[in-house]
Amino acid sequence: MRNLTSETENRAIAALALLPSFVILLVLVALPTFSVALYSLQDVQMGEASHPFVGLENFQWALSYAPFWNALTNTLVWVFGSVGIEMVVGVFIALLLNKNFVGRGIARAIVFAPYLIPTVVAVLVWRYMFHDVLGVVNYFLLKAGWINEPVNWLSSPKIAMMTVIIVGVWKFFPFVVLAILGVLQAIPQDQYEAAKIDGASEWQQFWRITLPHLMPIFLLTTLLRSIWTFHKFDIIYLLTGGGPVGSTTTLPVLVYQKAFADFEIGRASALAFITAFLLTILLLIYFYLSKRVEARQ
Amino acid sequence: MADLELKEISKQFDQQFAVRDINLHVQNGELVVLLGPSGCGKSTLMRLIAGLETPTHGQVLIGGQDKTALRPKDRNVALVFQSYALYPHLSIYENIAFPLRVRGMPDKALDEKVLWAARLLDIERLLQRKPRQTSGGERQRTALARSLVRDPAVFLLDEPLSNLDAKMRHAAREELRSFQHQVKATWIHVTHDQTEAMGLGDRIVVMDKGQVRQIGTPTEIYQHPADTFVATFVGSPPMNLIEMGDHILGFRPESCLPRAYFENESDLFKICFQLQRAEYLGNETLLYALTQAPLNTTKMIARIPSTLRLDVHPGDLCEFAVRSSDLRFFSAGEDGVKIDRPASALRG
Repeated sequence: MRNLTSETENRAIAALALLPSFVILLVLVALPTFSVALYSLQDVQMGEASHPFVGLENFQWALSYAPFWNALTNTLVWVFGSVGIEMVVGVFIALLLNKNFVGRGIARAIVFAPYLIPTVVAVLVWRYMFHDVLGVVNYFLLKAGWINEPVNWLSSPKIAMMTVIIVGVWKFFPFVVLAILGVLQAIPQDQYEAAKIDGASEWQQFWRITLPHLMPIFLLTTLLRSIWTFHKFDIIYLLTGGGPVGSTTTLPVLVYQKAFADFEIGRASALAFITAFLLTILLLIYFYLSKRVEARQ
Repeated sequence: MADLELKEISKQFDQQFAVRDINLHVQNGELVVLLGPSGCGKSTLMRLIAGLETPTHGQVLIGGQDKTALRPKDRNVALVFQSYALYPHLSIYENIAFPLRVRGMPDKALDEKVLWAARLLDIERLLQRKPRQTSGGERQRTALARSLVRDPAVFLLDEPLSNLDAKMRHAAREELRSFQHQVKATWIHVTHDQTEAMGLGDRIVVMDKGQVRQIGTPTEIYQHPADTFVATFVGSPPMNLIEMGDHILGFRPESCLPRAYFENESDLFKICFQLQRAEYLGNETLLYALTQAPLNTTKMIARIPSTLRLDVHPGDLCEFAVRSSDLRFFSAGEDGVKIDRPASALRG
């Protein structure tokens, strides 16, 4: 009997301890998600009092809306482009920083700097650097003779996405370096020494020891970066606002435009919901992989 | 297989000597144990032999050839690490096959070699498992098999038993010894565990602070320690050492027995002590005591087999003795090196 009481007491204490987190999650996550879900089924216009229920009409509209498909394509280019380059650059630099050389500490600090600079500051500086007339990038490229006329880094529909990806990679590759370097430093040195004695070349050591050790974290980091890049809004919006002519409009930017430029909250909610759905798929893969990685360790 | 010779090997890290002036000749097929406390340089010495470090001075000769400047893979030595250094993502089979794969050995020959090594070490049934699915002892055998497939001239083992629990360690020691006999390997074994060293080694190299203190058979090391360091490092409990003015007197705890035990023997050295504490260990009893006049008051330990029934209590004054032939003498200086019986030595 006594045991039962203390059991109930324990449960009460546990519930009490969880309550603040529960309330915060409810207010900050559950309620907005729920209202977006609700709005996506209604015709909501900014400033209008009535929200007639329209069923799946907003979703039908979204799927037949050309800019949606354009934004989806842009999002995929943005995600695969940025994450792909980030991973290659990140792993390469992590491998370099893992070597012993004079000034390694300083090199590490410099590499991590972009990650620490606030996005707004970084983007404004890059915008200035990529300015077609005043920008330092064009100045140096012209000076070096690599280009004959100034490149419209941010105002050409063909080039703007590449520019945005460059800035995105610059800002976020340090995260990859950090993750990969952590793994590299945790690989036991004696495995390399054993391989050296066994006659493995540098390349064989990389291929047969380093890479297998990196693989789980490499996959997880790729997915994590994909998820974060997928819903990245600030870099793109601050650099190009989604232009020129929609060439850098990704799904989050499109949602923003629909909601706060066109004031079509209902349709924007449907777009947001589709975006969240796509992200959920990525997230499920991430959880599946991280469980497998945990099981392996 | 081949012999191994170290000639005046020294290794400095930032002006500090990790090992200094080491000379050692390991015969073909001999098992030599490097024994010493942690930080004594034994692992560095092993890494120097393997080629993972280059000596600041001196030569490493394997099979009579100077290998000092060669890279690890060109020395034909195998090193079994304390951690075993197995590759966690590879199966036991692939771990053993690794040295052959990086050499590009054809699959069929490779398969035969791996199976041969696995059979020899009795790990055939584990071949498809990953290292994490095997026990400590099985990992150790895998590491041995991996070193074996290369037919190395010299086997180096860095504290291979330290990751095993006490019970398994005993069995693994047996296995190592019989394995070494079977493959007739030239074998260097590093440990800080003197029981392991005594049980395994044809010869033991006792090291301290980067230098060799003594090289000898287990009997020589135990019975005739070269200095007070060896005398106290080897043996548990250590040799008793008593300051005698111009020299130090030493005797093993088990050679100090009740005077009555020796009956009519004449060449005895009498020791009178006051018992502080008795520790009953089942097979034996350890007597912790303070020596009495004419000796200086010094802490000492006597080790009495349980078959010798003895009724003593803390505070008792006991009359014990050591055979003169079991006494050892060391110089009084800091080195405490072994000396002949000094003229001033007390007669019993």
